[in-house]
Amino acid sequence: MAFEQVQTTCPYCGAGCQIMFHVDREKNQIVEAVPAMGRTNEGTLCLKGHYGWDYLNDPQLLTKRLKNPMIRKGGKKSPLVEVSWEEAISYVAEKLTEIKEKYGPDAIMGTGSARGAGNEANYLMQKFMRACIGTNNVDHCARI
Amino acid sequence: MSMGIPEIEDASCLLCFGYNGADSHPIVARRIVRGRQKGMKIICVDPRVTETARISDIHMQLKGGSNLALVNAMANVIWKEGLTDDAFIAEHTKGFDDFLKVIEKYTPEYAEKICQVPAETIRQAARMYAVSKPAMILYGMGVCQFSQAVDVVKGLANLALMTGNFGGPSMGIGPVRGQNNVQGACDMGALPNSYPDYQSVTDPAARRKFEEAWGVTLSDKVGCPITHVPHRILHETDEKKKIHAYYIFGEDPAQSDPDLAEVREALDKCDFVIMQDIYMNKTGLHADVILPATAWGEHDGVYTCADRGFQRIRKAVEPEGNVKPDWQIISEISTAMGYPMKYSNTEEIWNEMIALCPDFAGATYEKMEKYGSVQWPCRDKSMEDRGTPYLHKNGIFATKDHKALFYGTDWHPPLELENDEYPMTLSTVREVGHYSVRTMTGNCRMLRNLEDEPGWVQMNPQDCRRLHLSKGELVKILSKRGYCITRCLPTERVKTGATYMTYQWWVGACNELTTAYLDPISNTPEYKYCACRVEKIDDQEWAERHVKELYAQIRTQMGISAEKEARS
Repeated sequence: MAFEQVQTTCPYCGAGCQIMFHVDREKNQIVEAVPAMGRTNEGTLCLKGHYGWDYLNDPQLLTKRLKNPMIRKGGKKSPLVEVSWEEAISYVAEKLTEIKEKYGPDAIMGTGSARGAGNEANYLMQKFMRACIGTNNVDHCARI
Repeated sequence: MSMGIPEIEDASCLLCFGYNGADSHPIVARRIVRGRQKGMKIICVDPRVTETARISDIHMQLKGGSNLALVNAMANVIWKEGLTDDAFIAEHTKGFDDFLKVIEKYTPEYAEKICQVPAETIRQAARMYAVSKPAMILYGMGVCQFSQAVDVVKGLANLALMTGNFGGPSMGIGPVRGQNNVQGACDMGALPNSYPDYQSVTDPAARRKFEEAWGVTLSDKVGCPITHVPHRILHETDEKKKIHAYYIFGEDPAQSDPDLAEVREALDKCDFVIMQDIYMNKTGLHADVILPATAWGEHDGVYTCADRGFQRIRKAVEPEGNVKPDWQIISEISTAMGYPMKYSNTEEIWNEMIALCPDFAGATYEKMEKYGSVQWPCRDKSMEDRGTPYLHKNGIFATKDHKALFYGTDWHPPLELENDEYPMTLSTVREVGHYSVRTMTGNCRMLRNLEDEPGWVQMNPQDCRRLHLSKGELVKILSKRGYCITRCLPTERVKTGATYMTYQWWVGACNELTTAYLDPISNTPEYKYCACRVEKIDDQEWAERHVKELYAQIRTQMGISAEKEARS
């Protein structure tokens, strides 16, 4: 059967290489990644570009893929308990509101992410910190 | 980067400074090799014999922490030998005379004592760079991860300015950004001092614009840099400035930040820690709430690569589990807190953003679809504006009067020097098969097979002989702040007295040792220099067992079952 082709940008270094995925839609799996003709990579990839997507299959080598929201219900050091999204979102919103009311917006720090999330999520994160929380306490690992 | 990545191979000379492309950006490094094949001269400045050093015309193997002395000495030679581009300096720059007063004392002989590079070599390198045109400078973390970092970046810009190497293709200076979207996170204003497109939070006009667009009053105070967070949790006495909540999104500070013992203490003492990520990681062990997000490959969006190129990422597979895209999670929290955010896809968010950002205004999804990559500035929506391959065309700079400024500063040594107790130095570096904290590459079967715990410490064979260490032996490496266990890798590529480790290992976690001393302007930690000591472990059998146990213990904490461990 014909696999679907999806072009994307490599998630590793800043070279911006273009990758073509061959996707098996029925199995919902990437079959292989081949180099695409991007402006910076011109049809080449390094080993991370070729093989660096296997984590999407969650092979459970090193760490577990997060699949449910979790809360430490018994406080610090207590076990993480799986909860619904509704519970997680309202818990986070309540706690942040409480801290903001008690100490002011500058008591809250947020980060952007220089990795998989992408520009739109970073735009929203800084908008959230600035417009909703009311602080410029937002930064990311550019300096790390 | 002021230039585009494809332009690298057409430079006449490349000054490659503290940048090890072969390990950090293999596909960028190919451009360096191709440039070499086309006759490009290469000057490599690196304390290690990197792959670039091996194909260079001149390799200045300087002592770690002496960058600015070398850069200033190169400027001194270019000036003293009359190799400056005087017309460019007169027409496009300011502050040259004040700059000369600073670099006057940096003769090659003066720098030789600091850098351990022969004066004559510095002269040859300065001449080679100055007489070649176009000449390009690429730099990496070997410049930025010092307590004196921004001064060196300015020093490199001084070299390009005094030789007229700005304003055309294959010239200028290029920080080759390490992570896929570190440029993008900066572009989007995930910075304490700027809104998207580098519009300052202290500029009233910019603030008014965002206030109108977002319908709220915004703070005019510059926020907290990420590297100040541990201090602001642990030592801040003003309750209003103390950080009580930390929303960590797609980062793992408990592995990637310096002085990990302090980071862990800070995370545990912070009232409320939110982690939003794709995999369990070291930070997750300290988080109060974990929000699972979709990964690259499971969502749409745009990344900015190192040379300012906006490029699409596309969803290839449906995510498994109860996960949501990051932008959706953030929107839901914001809405629950009374500031509604409603978007149906990433393009809607993108269009809101570019309407507020003059330099990105023309970079539509449509254009990215059509051209594949659009380098900012791209100010016009018409399909004719395809973006900007290189900056400062014809010597027009992004300052009010369009002139570039020379900044001269004096060299100072790193902040923690070798001493009797810790007689060697540690610098953190990269290796090609693993990326960042390795939650991605360490979970890829093919890449994981390349290298595994506890990693290696690169040391000069002379030091290994002195300490009676052989290749592969487990050693203990310590600093004032902490220690870890790793394997000894003797290599002639490094100088005596210096050690190098990569930072992705849990057992061999070199950030247990690193210092949180920062560059005062960029707030970047001095990852490239701290004092350390390497100790032999007599009972190797115990050490091997200990490493295995520690690794198994951490994987169990990360949710990997013991049964799985035995098989993998």
